[in-house]
Amino acid sequence: MTTKLTASGVEGSAEDALRLLTHSGARLVSIFGSVDESGAKRVYAIAEVNREYRIVNVAVTGALASVTPMCPAAAWYERELHDRFGIEIEGHPDLRPLVYHPADYTFLQVQGVGVCELPVGPVHAGIIEPGHFRFSVMGDTVLHLEPRLFYTHKGTETLFEGMSVLKGTALAESVSGDNCFAHAVAYCQSVENAFGISVPPRGRAIRLIGLELERMMAHIADVGALCGDVGCVVPAAYTARIKESLLQASARLIGTRYWRGTATPGGVRRDISAENAQRFGEVVAHAAADFVEMARIILDTPSVLNRFEGAGILSNEMARDLGAVGVVARASGVRMDVRRDHAYGHYRNITVETPHSQHGDVLARARMRIEETRVSARLIKDALKELAAGIVCTQVPCDGSAEGFSAVESPRGELLYWIRIRNGRIARCHIKSPSFQNWPCLPLAVAGNISADFPLINKSFNLSYSGCDR
Amino acid sequence: MIFDIVKHSLSSPNVLVPVEALIFNAEGSRMPDVRSEALTASIARRVVDVCGTAALAIDEAEGRSTLSLDYGKCTGCGQCIEAGEGAFIAAGRVACGVGRQALVSRWDIEGGSEIVGEEAVLTVAAREIRAIVGGALNIRQVDGGSCNGCEAEIGALTNPYYDLERFGIHFVASPKHADMLLVTGPVTRNMAEAVKRTYAATPAPKLVVAVGACGCSGGIFAESSEVAGGVNSVIPVDGYIPGCPPTPAMLLTGILRVLGRRR
Repeated sequence: MTTKLTASGVEGSAEDALRLLTHSGARLVSIFGSVDESGAKRVYAIAEVNREYRIVNVAVTGALASVTPMCPAAAWYERELHDRFGIEIEGHPDLRPLVYHPADYTFLQVQGVGVCELPVGPVHAGIIEPGHFRFSVMGDTVLHLEPRLFYTHKGTETLFEGMSVLKGTALAESVSGDNCFAHAVAYCQSVENAFGISVPPRGRAIRLIGLELERMMAHIADVGALCGDVGCVVPAAYTARIKESLLQASARLIGTRYWRGTATPGGVRRDISAENAQRFGEVVAHAAADFVEMARIILDTPSVLNRFEGAGILSNEMARDLGAVGVVARASGVRMDVRRDHAYGHYRNITVETPHSQHGDVLARARMRIEETRVSARLIKDALKELAAGIVCTQVPCDGSAEGFSAVESPRGELLYWIRIRNGRIARCHIKSPSFQNWPCLPLAVAGNISADFPLINKSFNLSYSGCDR
Repeated sequence: MIFDIVKHSLSSPNVLVPVEALIFNAEGSRMPDVRSEALTASIARRVVDVCGTAALAIDEAEGRSTLSLDYGKCTGCGQCIEAGEGAFIAAGRVACGVGRQALVSRWDIEGGSEIVGEEAVLTVAAREIRAIVGGALNIRQVDGGSCNGCEAEIGALTNPYYDLERFGIHFVASPKHADMLLVTGPVTRNMAEAVKRTYAATPAPKLVVAVGACGCSGGIFAESSEVAGGVNSVIPVDGYIPGCPPTPAMLLTGILRVLGRRR
């Protein structure tokens, strides 16, 4: 007999949580803390076993034994528990502050004759988000990289608390702006799951179109930026142009360039007309064809291949140990995709191809993005062709109490929202961001490369600072 | 090969948007405007209630009720347009690159008219920079803790549709090379020191432009204890560009207006 998984999961001991996370074939999804009305602390651990999410919750009465030595993917989650919830973690290999920035922070030092430290950031040279990177180098070679992030920590999860369920969507959109629609949909689905609401088929299809378009735009921009980083500027400009054509098409179709203000619990806020849908489909098809041609040329250029190939390798073992998600995982041979493994919304009605590679280098990640753009364009085409008739949104009760969670495959990978609602107001909202999961992979991929390749390798991961820092 | 790329690129039509089509254009930002003749007291109360960032407020003074709309707080969520029964519409034009007070519009609720505020005056630094560099400008973009939505749109300014370089404006890698800091927010507690130091490293005369609802006012994050506030809570600001995020057209308008290149 199977029982439906509730958002709280099974109540258990710290040993039960450890057993879940180290279960053969288990992948850590998230660990987070929560304080209830009486001030009691509880830790939730979510893992995926055999394509099923499993949750264990543990009452915190004293110090918890660290699971990091057995499950390295837990390292940052436990540091966050320590920082934000004041939970003592015993036996953690590195409990330095992660989220907050005390003045006396010390970086890990690599010692030896000829080792230099290169500090970079938090203000970087390009139009990008802030973060600090401390490189320990010997000549050109990076021996160790320590990222120090959370410069964009905005206390977002706390800010959700007390908000009405409907207003929470706008905050979810501002967790990671370039993936705002994935965040909005993940948030809305968690509310819908909590209250058992089903979204009308037309609303589900419009969400799929938005999600796949967001993925296309992210991947196209990333491939262009990779070219820019190896001095191949014409394709960089050309891909920026393709992305802009999709942004403008979005503004015409739905009213905003990045689909902000579109998703709402129960469905979407705006319908699309048949005429607009057709014009939009034409722009997407044209952009996809243009990009495929551009990508073919890029991957035929020896000077590009020379820089992409073999740079920043993340091994399959590292990706598994650190619970990597998204393009980063798939490029290192970890076949996972929330759209396929935990199908949601309109993805339940279709089959999604999930390209993967074994190489784990910059080239593999670039190829994944190119392949996935092609897949996304096809999914949009199919969804537009078979767009169901009817309403796009159902009413959501605004005053109930419930708990729910939901995962979506954002352009950066598995994104999960976990929400507790009390009388229509949010009591706790946890965001498992794919970037939080993937950032610890980056230093492993960079070690042994030359420091001049760091921007390229970093770009091939394209992680969100704000999504990670929240 | 690179020749294929150049050939491919040259065979594509020119997509450059003329400057006249960009200036003041707020299309795609979903920021609201008010049709004052349709505004009633009950609509005003309802929109204030649905506004997620307290951008809309009713002021009662001297027996007169006015509705104020602070574009510096507005995220363009569209709730007021949905609840406003036709009194709220998507704005065609939004003021960009103006002082903080000029971002606030007011309407007389009973009288059915807009209350016109003061004209923005060019700052001393803007006049000095114009005198030195003419129309050209070097911008250093600084992320004070944003969600990266503003960065995505600022990045779009350099694409072939907007081509910021045609105005003699470019982005530089160091604050030491910059005339203007284009700062997004909200400025987080963890970034406040870095923003101050970046400002200190920029040679005078220098301009600071706060970008986005969060840069202007802290936006949706204004109430967070982890956030210092808008950009002006840590460094002096010469001009503000509203929006969540501002569209490339709004960004361009704001940059040119702060310089006094557009009225």
